[in-house]
Amino acid sequence: MTGGLVYLLYVLFAVGGIALYLAMPRTQGAHAKAGLVIGGGAVAGLLALCAQVYMAPHGSNIFYYIFAGVALLAAGRVVTHPNPTYSAVYFALVVLSVAVLLVMQRAEFLAVALVIIYAGAILVTYAFVIMLAQQSGGGSSADQRAREPMLAIIASFVVMGTIAGRVSDLRELPNSPVEVQATADVMDVPLADTPVKDAGNTLSVGRTMFNQYVVVVQLAGLLLLVAMVGAIAVSRKRIPADEHGPPPPPPGEIGRTVPPF
Amino acid sequence: MLLAFTQLGFSSILALVILGIILGMVAYSIYFERKIAGWVQDRYGPNRVGLPTLVGDLLPEKYGKFHFWGLGQPIADGLKFFLKEDIIPSHVDKPLFLIAPCVSLIVALIGFVVIPWGGQVAIFGQVFNVQVANPDIGLLYILGVGSMGVYGVVLGGWASNNKYSVYGAVRATAQMLSYEIPMGVAIMCVVLTCGQVRLEEIMASQVAGWNVWNLFYHPVAFIILWITMFAETNRTPFDLAECEQELVGGFHTEYSAMKFAMFFLAEYAHMITGCAFLAVLFCGGWDPIPFVRIPLFRPEDTGIIAMLAKMAVLFGKVAFFMFMYMWVRWTVPRFRFDQLMRVAWKGLIPASLGVLAVAIAGLYLGLHRTLWFTLPGNVAVVLVSLWVMSRAKDPVSGREANLPPLTRSPELGVQA
Amino acid sequence: MIRDEDIVRVEAPRISAADRLYLTQIAQGMKVTLNHLFFKPRMTVQYPEQKREMNTQNYRGVHRLNRDPDGRVACVACFMCQTACPAHCIHIVADESPWEDREKYPQLFDIDELRCIYCGMCEEACPVDAIELTYEYDVVGRSRDEMIFDKEKLLEVYDSTKDVKPRKNPKITGYQRTGDRGKYDQLRDRLREMTQQSNPISAPHQTVDGERAPAPENKENA
Repeated sequence: MTGGLVYLLYVLFAVGGIALYLAMPRTQGAHAKAGLVIGGGAVAGLLALCAQVYMAPHGSNIFYYIFAGVALLAAGRVVTHPNPTYSAVYFALVVLSVAVLLVMQRAEFLAVALVIIYAGAILVTYAFVIMLAQQSGGGSSADQRAREPMLAIIASFVVMGTIAGRVSDLRELPNSPVEVQATADVMDVPLADTPVKDAGNTLSVGRTMFNQYVVVVQLAGLLLLVAMVGAIAVSRKRIPADEHGPPPPPPGEIGRTVPPF
Repeated sequence: MLLAFTQLGFSSILALVILGIILGMVAYSIYFERKIAGWVQDRYGPNRVGLPTLVGDLLPEKYGKFHFWGLGQPIADGLKFFLKEDIIPSHVDKPLFLIAPCVSLIVALIGFVVIPWGGQVAIFGQVFNVQVANPDIGLLYILGVGSMGVYGVVLGGWASNNKYSVYGAVRATAQMLSYEIPMGVAIMCVVLTCGQVRLEEIMASQVAGWNVWNLFYHPVAFIILWITMFAETNRTPFDLAECEQELVGGFHTEYSAMKFAMFFLAEYAHMITGCAFLAVLFCGGWDPIPFVRIPLFRPEDTGIIAMLAKMAVLFGKVAFFMFMYMWVRWTVPRFRFDQLMRVAWKGLIPASLGVLAVAIAGLYLGLHRTLWFTLPGNVAVVLVSLWVMSRAKDPVSGREANLPPLTRSPELGVQA
Repeated sequence: MIRDEDIVRVEAPRISAADRLYLTQIAQGMKVTLNHLFFKPRMTVQYPEQKREMNTQNYRGVHRLNRDPDGRVACVACFMCQTACPAHCIHIVADESPWEDREKYPQLFDIDELRCIYCGMCEEACPVDAIELTYEYDVVGRSRDEMIFDKEKLLEVYDSTKDVKPRKNPKITGYQRTGDRGKYDQLRDRLREMTQQSNPISAPHQTVDGERAPAPENKENA
C-alpha cells in the first residue's frame, strides 16, 4: 500500500471512531442515527479502499463486500446497542459474517470452528448470563450509557489503525490451500502420501498444527485444563457443616427410622 | 439445460427434492407421533380426516364413510396453522420475537445438505455425488449448524418477556451446551476410526472391505451419540425446555399460529437431520446389511435405480430412528433437571472420553479398524463405568445435604 | 402441626451399579409400550358409528311431550313443570281445551334445550306424566333459536322414542284423582314420624320438655 493510501486508511479509521463515539448509548442527547450514517460511510470507504488495493483475488466477489460490511456494522452495533441481549445477537452476526469470509478464503475448518466455538458455545453462555440477569422489557439503566467512551475509542482505534497499517504492507498473504500447502512444504516433515488435490483444508490445518506448532497446541491444552480445574475448584460448593461440625443430634427420641424397603 | 449437467445443477435439483421429502416427512412424522401416542395408550390416534376428503365424501353411501386412516390430518393441521390469528403480545420484544422462529427453522433446514444420500450416480456418463454439498468439513458443518439451533430457543424465550419462557430458554441453553460435549467426543471416535471428516468418505470407509459399520467398532459411542441426539432435539426424556407441567409451553408459550408451527417444524426437521446423521455416521448410511455385499448396493453401482434404492434404504433407517424417537417419548418419563445434568457430566462425558481413549489407543497401535480390539475396548469402558458407579456415593441434593443425619437404630436391623 | 413422633424418615434403597445405568429398566418399559403399540385392543369407542350401551330407561336426555292413547298431547297445561324448573327454561301458554275430559291444554309449549340443566324436576312435577326425559343426548342445532323446542318438535321426539322407552303410565289422562297418596307423600309421613320418635340428643330441634321446636324449613313450609 503506497503512502498516500495508508493515510487515507488512517483518516477512515478516524471517521469510524467519531461515528462510533456519536453512536454510543447516552441517557440524553444521543446521535445514534448520525453515527450510523457516518459509520456506514466509513465502512463503505474502507471497503472501496480494499477494492482499490486488493483487486485480486476476491475483488470481484460481491459477497465479500456484503459480508465484510455486515460484519463491520454489526460489530459497531455490538458496542453501541443499549440492550446487552441485542449486543450478543449482533456479536453472533459478526461471527457468522466472518465465518462466511473465511469460507470464501477456503478456510472452511476455521470458519466452522469459529461458528461452533464462538456462536455455538461462548455467545450462548453470554446470552444465558444476560437472560438470567435481565428480563426483556425493563432494562437496567446501567446499560443505557457508555462509560469513558472517548478514551476507549481512541485507544482501540489507535491499536486497530496500527495493526491495519502494518498488515496492509503484507501483500504476500496465502490465499488458497495450495499456497498453505506450499508454506507447509517448507517444513522438514514429509507431506502427502495423498496428492495435493485431496489434501483438504482440514488435513492441512491438522498437519500444520500437530507438526509445526505441536508444542503450542499442547501448551494451549494445558492452559485450558488448568483453567478448567481452577473453575471447578472455585465453584465447588462447600457445605457449611465442615466449619461448624456436624449438626447437633436431636434431643431425646425424635422420630423413627425405617429400614429401606 | 447445460447447468443441469454440472454437479451444481444436480445439487440444486437434489436439494429441492430432498427438501420436499423432508418437509413431507415432517408433516407425516407429526401424524405418526400422534398415531403412536394413541396406540401406546390403547387409542386409535387421528383417524377422521380422510386424505382426499372430497373423494371420501363422493363415495356412494353404501360404502359408508372411509377416512383413509386419517391421512389428511397433517394437511388440516397445516391449514389451521395458516388460518389462525397470528398474535404478537404487546409486552414482547418484537424484533427478536419475530426473528426467533425463523432462526429455528432455517437452522433446522440447512443441516441436511452435507448428508450423502445415495453414493454416486451416473447420468449419461456423467458421475454426480448424490449429495447437495460436499465441503471439506461436512461433519463439523452439521455440528456447527446444530449448535446454532439453540439460538431460536434462547431468543424466543427471552423475547417473550415471560418467566416461563425464560426458564425454558435457560434450561434449553444449559442442556444443549452440556450435551454437545459428549456428542462431539462420540463423533471424534468415528473421525478417528475413519480418518476423515468428510461424510462421504466416512460412508465410503464403511462400505469398503467387509462392510463393517462404525456401529460395530464403537457401540458405546453410538449409544452416547444417540442419547445426546435426544437431548439436542429437546425430545423426551430431555424436553425440559418445554415441559407442560412446570413451564406451560416453555420457550414457545407466547407463540401461536404459524410462528408456533415454525418451531414445531424446526423440531421435527432437526430430528430428521439428526437421524440421517446418526445413520450415516454409525449405521452404514445407504448400506442395507452389514458384513454382506449386495449387488445393487455396492459403491460402484451408479445406476439411477441403484441410487433410488440407496436413498430408500437411508430414508428407511431415518424412519426407523424417528420411530425410536416416538417410542421412547411415550415410554420414558422426563428427567429432573439435576438428573439431566448428572447424566451429562457424570455419565456421558466420562464414558465418551473412555471410548475416545480406546479409539486413540487403537489408532496409535494401528488397530483402529479391527473389531477384536475396539469391541473389547468398549466393553472395558462399560465395565470400568460400572465399577466406578458401584463405588460412588449416592447422589446428594442440596436439600438432602442440609437434613440431620439419620439415626440408625440397631433394634430395627439397619446396618450403619 | 406435625408431632415429632409422627415423622418417618425413609431412606431410599441403595441401587446397584448396573441398575443405575437404567438401561434394563428402560428396556422393560419399552417392552410394555411395544406390547400396547401392536398387540393390545383399542379401548376407544368410535363414536358416531359405535355407541356405548346405555340404560335407555333412566337417562336424562332431551325432553319429549307424551301423547295419550288417542294421539292428543297429554299435557294439561298445569304449569307445574314450569314452576318446578330451576333453570326457567319451560314456557307454556295455556288455552281452553277443545276436548271434554280436561279443562286446559298447552297452546304453546317451548323448552329452551340450551338453558335446561337436565335435572328431571319437570318429569317429577308432572301430575299426568306428560313430560319425560328421553335417552337422546346428541341434540345439535345451528342456532340458538333452533335449540328452542316447541310443542310439535317435542311430540316428534315422543314419536321417535316411544318404541324404545314407552310412556311410564299411559292410562293417566287429564285430572283424575286416584285417591291413594303418592310415594313421596308416604316418605314424608314416615320421615315426620321418625323425627317425632327420636331422642333429644340426636334431634337438635327438640326442646327439653318434649315439644317440637319449629325448624326453619318447617316455618317456611307452613
